[in-house]
Amino acid sequence: MFDFSVITRWVDQLLRGVMPDAAATVVECVIIGLCLLLGYSVIALALIYAERKVCAWFQCRLGPNRVGPLGLLQSVADMVKMLIKEIIEIRHVDRFLFGLAPYIVIVASVGAFACLPFARGLQVLDFNVGIFFLVAVSSIGVVGILLAGWASNNKYSLIGAMRSGAQMISYELSIGLSILTMVVLSGTLQITELVEGQADGWLLFKGHVPAAIAFVIYLVAGTAETNRGPFDLPEADSELTAGYHTEYSGMHFGFFYLAEYLNLFIVAGVATTLFLGGWMPLHVPGWEGFNEVMDYIPSIFWFFGKAGVMIFVIMWFKWTFPRLRIDQLLRLEWKYLLPVNLLNLLLMVIVVVYKLHF
Amino acid sequence: MIGIDKIIARFPGTRVEEGAALPTLVAPPGEYRALAGFLRDDEGARFDYLACMTGVDGGEWLGVVLLLESTTSGERVYLQTGTTDRERPLLPTVSDLWETANLNEREVYDYFGIRFAGHPDTRRLFLRNDWVGYPLRKDYDADALVNPVRLESDETPDDTRSWREDGGEEAHALFDDEEYVVNIGPQHPATHGVLRFRVALEGEIVKKVDVHCGYIHRGIEKMCESLTYPQMLPMTDRLDYLAAHQHRHALCLCVEEALQMEVPERVKYIRTIMDELNRLSSHLLFWSTLCMDLGALTAFFYGFRDREKVLDIMEETTGGRLIQHYNVIGGVTDDIHPNLARRVKEFIKYLPPMLKEYDEVFTGNVIARERMTGVGVLSRADAISYGVTGPSGRASGWACDVRKRRPYGVYDKVDFKEIVHEEGDSFHRYLTRVEEITESLRILEQLVDNVPPGEFAVKTKPVIKLPEGRYFKSVEGSRGEFGVYIESRGEKTPYRLKFRSTSFPLVSVVPLLARGSKIADLIAIGGTLDYIVPDVDR
Amino acid sequence: MNNASEYIVNFARGTRSLLVGMRATLRVFFRAKTTERYPENRATLTMFDRFRGELVMLHDEQNYHRCTACGICEMNCPNGTLRVTSEWVVDEAGKKKKSLVEYQYDLGSCLFCQLCVRTCAQQALGFLPTFEHAVFTRGKLIHKLNREGSSLAPKPVAESHTV
Repeated sequence: MFDFSVITRWVDQLLRGVMPDAAATVVECVIIGLCLLLGYSVIALALIYAERKVCAWFQCRLGPNRVGPLGLLQSVADMVKMLIKEIIEIRHVDRFLFGLAPYIVIVASVGAFACLPFARGLQVLDFNVGIFFLVAVSSIGVVGILLAGWASNNKYSLIGAMRSGAQMISYELSIGLSILTMVVLSGTLQITELVEGQADGWLLFKGHVPAAIAFVIYLVAGTAETNRGPFDLPEADSELTAGYHTEYSGMHFGFFYLAEYLNLFIVAGVATTLFLGGWMPLHVPGWEGFNEVMDYIPSIFWFFGKAGVMIFVIMWFKWTFPRLRIDQLLRLEWKYLLPVNLLNLLLMVIVVVYKLHF
Repeated sequence: MIGIDKIIARFPGTRVEEGAALPTLVAPPGEYRALAGFLRDDEGARFDYLACMTGVDGGEWLGVVLLLESTTSGERVYLQTGTTDRERPLLPTVSDLWETANLNEREVYDYFGIRFAGHPDTRRLFLRNDWVGYPLRKDYDADALVNPVRLESDETPDDTRSWREDGGEEAHALFDDEEYVVNIGPQHPATHGVLRFRVALEGEIVKKVDVHCGYIHRGIEKMCESLTYPQMLPMTDRLDYLAAHQHRHALCLCVEEALQMEVPERVKYIRTIMDELNRLSSHLLFWSTLCMDLGALTAFFYGFRDREKVLDIMEETTGGRLIQHYNVIGGVTDDIHPNLARRVKEFIKYLPPMLKEYDEVFTGNVIARERMTGVGVLSRADAISYGVTGPSGRASGWACDVRKRRPYGVYDKVDFKEIVHEEGDSFHRYLTRVEEITESLRILEQLVDNVPPGEFAVKTKPVIKLPEGRYFKSVEGSRGEFGVYIESRGEKTPYRLKFRSTSFPLVSVVPLLARGSKIADLIAIGGTLDYIVPDVDR
Repeated sequence: MNNASEYIVNFARGTRSLLVGMRATLRVFFRAKTTERYPENRATLTMFDRFRGELVMLHDEQNYHRCTACGICEMNCPNGTLRVTSEWVVDEAGKKKKSLVEYQYDLGSCLFCQLCVRTCAQQALGFLPTFEHAVFTRGKLIHKLNREGSSLAPKPVAESHTV
């Protein structure tokens, strides 16, 4: 299978050959940063288009079909529109915090995005507590949302931000615990090792019952983390018009919008990495021919394919279910998910200790 | 049966005027309140439902006419009172007897300047606070210079006034400075139009709701006073636009009754079929928008997908989709389209599988159920007191269907069930409507093949003049009893015309239901009450 | 114990209802879409005959209309949408007669209530099922309904009328 580290190593050697080491590192950082941001925005645009199409198909509609063939350029056009729109200055807002909030949100999601293993050898940040770092970085986003709500000087925004705070903190627990469950099974926090460990079978299958439970909980909590329906209370349009980003316009709003879709991708990517073998191809023990064919598919397709399926499922949730109420949302977490999660962790420990997994 | 003699004996100042249909008890202001209380509480009377409250400028006097109805016997009577003091008119309030009088008396104050002693909250209801004069008085100065189009925004005061019986005035606060007051509306995705709630919150909990109406007030009742009867027909369609046909039906019935005109059997059938199609489209839209309010956006499209088919059926016959302009005095504009029966039958086959889909997507969904069950419980007594009719009233256990109580059209000839639930919460308000969709299909099934031959309209005189008197006729609109009250003095235009709005009581009950619930519940309550704002504001 | 079993049953029932909902939406996902592709389907898109798009005055092939400028429609219009301008002319017999100069119709304020059509004794008016009425200024919504050079039809009106 093709290893992307060949390319990165070649670039590294080329740079080091023409300039001192320190300068090469700086240049590499810039290149990586640019690539990340480019990938970030391209994926966000693709997801916005996908969401609109998927949502339309669920709703007996065709979706965007005017701009470009099959409406493919719709989200590009939207981006251009968003870029050239005026950022409206609002009186009575805390201008510094108001301006800062979208950047915090975007930085948090770019940070988490950088941790994802897209393909063999194609990963920016990889160190021994990688998954831990990912969880930590992605939860900074809530600060941005809280700031946005607070700084807007708008009652709807404030209620939205408060809801968001309560929701994020609650569901962070579930995310953390379900990730922990899988870490117990795989025995590592490093993302590359996590993926490598799934060469002989995805963790979802290896860990059978507890892994499946953790998977479902992760999906639910992940949907809640991204503030998507049915957990979109912070921006519940029929209650709070647009929640915490009511007062934002132009690219400031665009940042929230991008971050929302990227967070969706990150949740799907982490689910892929933790449960579905990351970029590892599907192998069925004993079916040698089948496994070989699977190996021919590049690892990057495996990762994006699996993430795509996860994204579809999360979209499917959103376009099917009504929104929860804040107390029901918290009840779901504290009364159902958290106890199940704790028991599940215990179950996983038992499974691992007695080697009951595959 | 009320003993008229008993009333005369107890209230010597009260006179009885026999009318064409109903007697009117004319009480002096001093006896009005006591008589109203007697009519409500007396064993023989039990007029517990205030069906319609109309302010009237009688020329030398200003007053109100109440149409009272007993929910036990179904009997009706008019109660009228008035004062000759046109400068500072003051009448006793009945808002503590019937809750619905609360907003209605505010409306009367707004239109006629009559203040009600003991009314807790005398503010203008529809018009701006700086409006000069009282528009429905006959001596109102309609000069555009008196009330120009004002461009500055109208400040919303935080306090209100009330009057004592001796004419003294008291001010009291609606909201404290400490309270966290949020405006839900007039521009808000979930208020279904330009309705505004001022909501005092404590965290997520709603402490108090103050309803502000009038953002789409067009003064239709005032306009109607200068329109001929055929001319005012299009106005009814613009009240509750989702029940356009039914509302027009009510006005036609009222005028026809006043003229003692008998319409052909065919017309009755056609009107009933169209009423039910209208109800179907309205309930489907209710379902869609409620789903959207609760966040299920996909379900919204399913409802609209199916409503489109109903609209097509109606459009083919009437030429209108939302607003049909089909009923006219004495009949309908056109005969039914030859395709109607076939299309309706196709639709009757088409819809039930879709209803099953609705159940799967929304009714059975645990989130939807949790969002609605036990939310905004309206008791039967409150429903009657607030005058909450229609599916919302029936969900509270009040069998208030006009189609059963006072059949019109051919409702007495068809077999259908009046859906009544006892629980009175949002979920049962929802369920009542969903079940009514099936009942409407049943009615259509019975009618569509059996339309008798005959004329589709009777010829009317070019100029229609109603004989002197007061007339009231109501129909079952999609969201409750819609009544038309006409006071005629024999002219070609009415002296006073009042539409008994279906949505007005629904809005008036929101503060009661929402108190103590969450913001999200306020949306669910509003969604399941299913009010239409143009019908509130008129 | 009862509470615990209730907890589990509720949980299972709730989850099931969610899955049923997801099954229903997925079925729609693969169903043919119901929306129309306007304006691509313009050629095949027809409105119902009775649909009221705009008011027109009926003219025949000889450019005759039937409006006698009596003004009943203008009187009946609840919204002041119509304005009939007429002049007095003396015909060959020396009788003074009203003749139509301009029939003005404001599409922007029309209620489509049909009172004009229904009360017209000459049946000079009708509705067309057109629907693409968007214009850029309100002034363009004011139509002149009598055609250029048209005149009142001589007594026996020709049978066929085109608009």
